[in-house]
Amino acid sequence: MSTRRPKGAPRALTAFAVFGLWSLGAVGCGGDPNEPSVAVPGVAGAEKTAALVRAERRLFDGAPPVIPHENFGAACVSCHDQEGMAVEGVGFSPPSPHAETVGLSAISNCRQCHVFQEAAESWRGNAFAGLRQDLRRGRRLHDLAPPVLPHGVFMRENCVACHSGPAAREAIRTDHPERANCLQCHVEQTATGRFEPDGVS
Amino acid sequence: MTLDRRSFLKVLGSGAPVAALSCRDRDRADELEARGGVAAPRDGDLTWGKAPCRFCGTGCGVEVAVDGGRVVAVRGDEASPVNKGLLCVKGYHLPAFLYGEDRLTQPMRRHPDGREETISWDQALDLIAEKFQGALDRKGPEGVAVYGSGQWTVFDGYAALKWVKGGMGSNNLDPNARLCMASAVMGFVTQFQSDEPMGCYEDFEAGDDFVLWGNNMAEMHPVLFSRILENKRKNPRVRIVDLATRRTPTSDYADLYVEFRPGTDLALANGILHLLIEDGKIDRPFIEENLVFRRGIEDLDEIGYGCFGDQAERYGFKDEATESSLEEMREFLADYTPAKVAEVTGVPAAQIRALAELYGDAGRGTVSLWCMGVNQHVRGTWMNNLINDLHLLTGKIGRPGANPFSLTGQPSACGTAREVGTLSNRLPADMVVMKEEHRRKAEEIWGLPPGTINPKPGFHTMDMFRAFARGDVEAMWVQTTNPWVSLPNLHRFERKPGDGRFLVVSDIYPTPTTAVADLVLPSAAWVEREGVFGNTERRTQQWNRLADPPGEATEDAWQFIEVAKRMGMGHLFPWDGDWHEPMFEEYRSFTLGVGKDLASYQQLKSTRGLRWPVVDGKETRYRYAAGHDPYVEKTEGVHFYKAKGYGERAAVWLRPYHPPAEVPDDEYPLWLTTGRVLEHWHTGSMTRRVSQLHQAVPEAFVELNRADALEMGIQDGDRVRLRSRRGAMELVAQVDGRGQPPRGTVFVPFFDESVKINELTLDAMDNISKEPDFKKCAVRVERLA
Repeated sequence: MSTRRPKGAPRALTAFAVFGLWSLGAVGCGGDPNEPSVAVPGVAGAEKTAALVRAERRLFDGAPPVIPHENFGAACVSCHDQEGMAVEGVGFSPPSPHAETVGLSAISNCRQCHVFQEAAESWRGNAFAGLRQDLRRGRRLHDLAPPVLPHGVFMRENCVACHSGPAAREAIRTDHPERANCLQCHVEQTATGRFEPDGVS
Repeated sequence: MTLDRRSFLKVLGSGAPVAALSCRDRDRADELEARGGVAAPRDGDLTWGKAPCRFCGTGCGVEVAVDGGRVVAVRGDEASPVNKGLLCVKGYHLPAFLYGEDRLTQPMRRHPDGREETISWDQALDLIAEKFQGALDRKGPEGVAVYGSGQWTVFDGYAALKWVKGGMGSNNLDPNARLCMASAVMGFVTQFQSDEPMGCYEDFEAGDDFVLWGNNMAEMHPVLFSRILENKRKNPRVRIVDLATRRTPTSDYADLYVEFRPGTDLALANGILHLLIEDGKIDRPFIEENLVFRRGIEDLDEIGYGCFGDQAERYGFKDEATESSLEEMREFLADYTPAKVAEVTGVPAAQIRALAELYGDAGRGTVSLWCMGVNQHVRGTWMNNLINDLHLLTGKIGRPGANPFSLTGQPSACGTAREVGTLSNRLPADMVVMKEEHRRKAEEIWGLPPGTINPKPGFHTMDMFRAFARGDVEAMWVQTTNPWVSLPNLHRFERKPGDGRFLVVSDIYPTPTTAVADLVLPSAAWVEREGVFGNTERRTQQWNRLADPPGEATEDAWQFIEVAKRMGMGHLFPWDGDWHEPMFEEYRSFTLGVGKDLASYQQLKSTRGLRWPVVDGKETRYRYAAGHDPYVEKTEGVHFYKAKGYGERAAVWLRPYHPPAEVPDDEYPLWLTTGRVLEHWHTGSMTRRVSQLHQAVPEAFVELNRADALEMGIQDGDRVRLRSRRGAMELVAQVDGRGQPPRGTVFVPFFDESVKINELTLDAMDNISKEPDFKKCAVRVERLA
């Protein structure tokens, strides 16, 4: 595993960036099967899990995560490559899950979907409550059957980005990363009711 | 309170979107819900529908998830031929724009003393009918006006058109597309006598060279730019050329970056044309078979800029065509030698030659792309003409991978503003009010007596607002747009309710435009109502109502219909029950048989959009092209069958270089150019209510060149004052941000209503399209102590 220091002198961190760096470390460093958690202010007995941290970076389950660290001025793919790497002073940089996606490649424009976040005044409030991640749907036919994918493959072609290596959360880490063709056994099972056209040329 | 803390608490409070993955997570989620939290929706409970994205003109297909009448998620539609599953950050965050806490939910009347009163829809509609009828009685058809939008659905635009032109006998109907696409319209109309591009998005995979004329595509049309990048990744032959007045994220991907002085693109294009003709790199057989040559009025004093002297209140310049020839064009271009063009433009002669070689290489497909840099230009129609000329003279038109392709900024600038024809001189399907046969056809379809439609074009946007400021227009309705942020030279239009004029504004959020309205109406947005948009590549896309509008918000088209009924014009909207399909089919009848044929409503409902002309249920990828366009009977080549006035040939126009209306001088030594950023859309009234987008770019800024900043003693992050002849404002300076202007230029985005950069811009406009030039005026930067 390579270790790299981000280029460029870090500017003063915003509160958000501090929070983001902490959580990146919490999610990404791995090695702790119990997932570190913190108390949630104002909710008795509640703790914040890595899964909740994941949710906080997304408008809804399926939206691209915002960038949880400050802008180091380096190309995104210099740290978020196919394997990911530990970045000194920051945490583990997860690999890119977008291996095969049309239009997404080493020369593509990451920030057309992933944006940095700054503290902002003049906010007027928003009551949107989005789709949450859910694994209550049947995940496998029987105890020995391979689990189906609870999400689409599009934009997530590089399975090991999230399911293997230090960035993978314990709960979804595979014990057989060497078997490269994941989709041979794990099939996509997304929502029913997709719009089906008839005869689009 | 900052957003951080607020959204943080929201996430942690009841209804928190807890991501449940591990057993422990699931237990925790159950526990939180059991304590009274509201259960967030889960995928299995959802209804999914299709819609085009609400934002730009690309028309990305999205699948929309709805739960309990509310949108809870979207995903890029992998089966959409437009975006193939990809969206940009605005598209991925679409659902939240509907749920800002300050959504307008009830009609609100603002009294002259500033008092705001919630009123019923009946009261609101009666009031509008009374005010518009009063204005008609006192001032005639010029006394009323409707200012609409390229974000109108086809239904909204068609209802407005029918009410204004078929009901009130007025032509004072114009859309914000006048600020956006009008120059592209006039480019296509003057050359092909039919609006809209001949090519389609498949050019992004088929082309070899992509020449971007003043077009920051990586930020403004990111999904389409991704298609070019993917082509480039797979095919090393692909080249991207960025012709610009400022370095942008697009420039980072360009094989060749060509920087020209603001407004000198006219000279640059003429310089390329000069070399093409001199070097014999033009397609003579194509020219002889398919083209004619035309020349217009070129006298600068006669044309002016639409904002000085007696043009400052009304600008009615009309171009006149005379016949010309290739030989005359050669003589006309003799002045545009590489050396002279280099002097005017600042582009090295070697780069001008490289561009000529690129356009002149018959073995490579060339796609020219442009948007606001070319259109918001005091000679925008001319610039459109010159780009089209490059393709016409080289025969690089009407085939896959070789086309001039104008990009649009609004989701239905094409489908509604241009195709329905909600412009002051237009009727549906390329028709105009000035032509008797066109008026007759409309009157016949609408069942109106001959002579109902007014033959005199109404006010174009700039003259409409000038007339409203003078009081010549007494009653005005603004829908789905935010002119008190987006018009140039904004101070001209300042107003207070109760000044004797009547302004009604329909929108979904409070904006600086609703703030000056006498009556504010709450509209349903996007999938809260049924709709049809038409995108940049002639694709018409339909969606059903999928979610509930908030409070009493209603569909824009319904608002027009109800007022028309109250003015005794109910006969224009004779349909009982759900009028969407019959209204669309009536509109569609304008388009059939004239090369603008739209698909049937039923076909649109069951597909992911189709590109017109749609004949026998089949769409057309390449207009005018043999083997593609059903109207072309030739077996090869092209046929410009819509250009009856040119003998069914396309017209090449000779257009000279004219300088911009205002250029920097000692007092105001810098160019100001304005535009967008990727994360925000237009005036930000929607995207600034989505936390992820708002936090990505919270406020407007002024981009400075590093050398200029050093010289002025300004550092990145300093507050500075920007001043033009029309106003001044304070902004944060940005040095070496995502955009880097050259020395002598500053850039400010216009999305932030708290710093309205259009208070500084000039209302100079294109001589033919009457589209304002937001890209060029003179300013100075003042350091704050």
